Amino acid sequence: MESKNIFQERLVEARKKRRLSQDELANKTKLQASAISHFETGGRKPSFDNLKRLADALEITSDYLLGRTNDPSGIIENDPIYRDFENLTAQERDIARDFMKSLAKGSKKREGRK
Amino acid sequence: MSHPFGESNARHHSELLLRELEINSFPVCPFLIADKLNVEVRQLPSNKKGVSGMLLRNDDQFGILYATYLENSGFERFSISHEIGHYYLPGHPDVILVDGIHQSHAGFISYDKYEMEADYFAANLLMPKFLFETALDQAGVGLDGIEKLAAQCNTSLTATAIRYAQHVPEAVAIIISTNDLIDYCFMSDTLKEFRGLDWLRKGTPVPSDTFTHNFNKKASNISQGARKDGDTNLQYWFGGDHEIEMLEEIIGLGSYGKTLTVLSTSDLPTEEDLDEEEALMESWTPRFRR
Repeated sequence: MESKNIFQERLVEARKKRRLSQDELANKTKLQASAISHFETGGRKPSFDNLKRLADALEITSDYLLGRTNDPSGIIENDPIYRDFENLTAQERDIARDFMKSLAKGSKKREGRK
Repeated sequence: MSHPFGESNARHHSELLLRELEINSFPVCPFLIADKLNVEVRQLPSNKKGVSGMLLRNDDQFGILYATYLENSGFERFSISHEIGHYYLPGHPDVILVDGIHQSHAGFISYDKYEMEADYFAANLLMPKFLFETALDQAGVGLDGIEKLAAQCNTSLTATAIRYAQHVPEAVAIIISTNDLIDYCFMSDTLKEFRGLDWLRKGTPVPSDTFTHNFNKKASNISQGARKDGDTNLQYWFGGDHEIEMLEEIIGLGSYGKTLTVLSTSDLPTEEDLDEEEALMESWTPRFRR
């Protein structure tokens, strides 16, 4: 419940800081203006895809939008990852870890292009 | 405030995604969709049965690992589509972000409501109603029809059979069983509406008077994908008051370790037929009593 409120607050705050109307943010994210309005009023929950689009357009991170960090460009480096991780074999764990690392590299490349 | 959730929500969002990506023909390719969404997809090579797929996240970059142990491209494509569902469906970050990584055991035997929603999303993404119903009209009734659709959609026989039962206008049931027990059964609307039938629940025994019961006694039938068909009776499977002949078609599902049974008939009496039959019985009974 708390993180939902933080998401609503931070979305409004970040949009206003960038001086964007709901329509303008909708255009930038290719989401409907009504979706932005629903996110801000708590009438709709975002998907990962929504979060990524909003974070990109507002030049902040999803983790900040969700209240998981107080730094607008911050990410959760040490996620308490791997629910059911014990179900994976050692080899599968290594593959998952390597994949996570390569995703991080992709993310850094993306930052470099900004 | 309550949020839309469940099968209709999953269908709405899968169709939204297909429209957005202008995908309007079979087969729907989950690899292409993931690529368009900037989600990287990789294989998770393993011989071990278990995790079928997982969504990973690092910063705002997402990836999907999918298991290849079944060596079944339809199953793999369903697993990837299921993970795309977790990525694309509203509200899923609430449950998934606790972990940063999300693992799924794809398939319809999933009781977590978010897993079920992702399953519905996957089925609707790979076999959208607006394409599936037209294809179904041309495919025909029974196992042959399901196989044609599976080839067209590039989906597993199991997932296609479930979708088929949900949309076929005829009286059809698809049953998945392991050894002598039912895993699950999906009935078409026409069959569901037929009066007096019992539902086959998970864990109930495969009826002993059926071809499936004998078929499942031989393990090689399942592992080698053997086929069998014959005439059965509606009553053997679902009880009720009417002995109606049905075609029972069976196929072993190989490394999945299960059996698919398709029951179908085009001779199911209508409600009017049943009423007439009852009225006739009624009119005759007093005469015998006199």
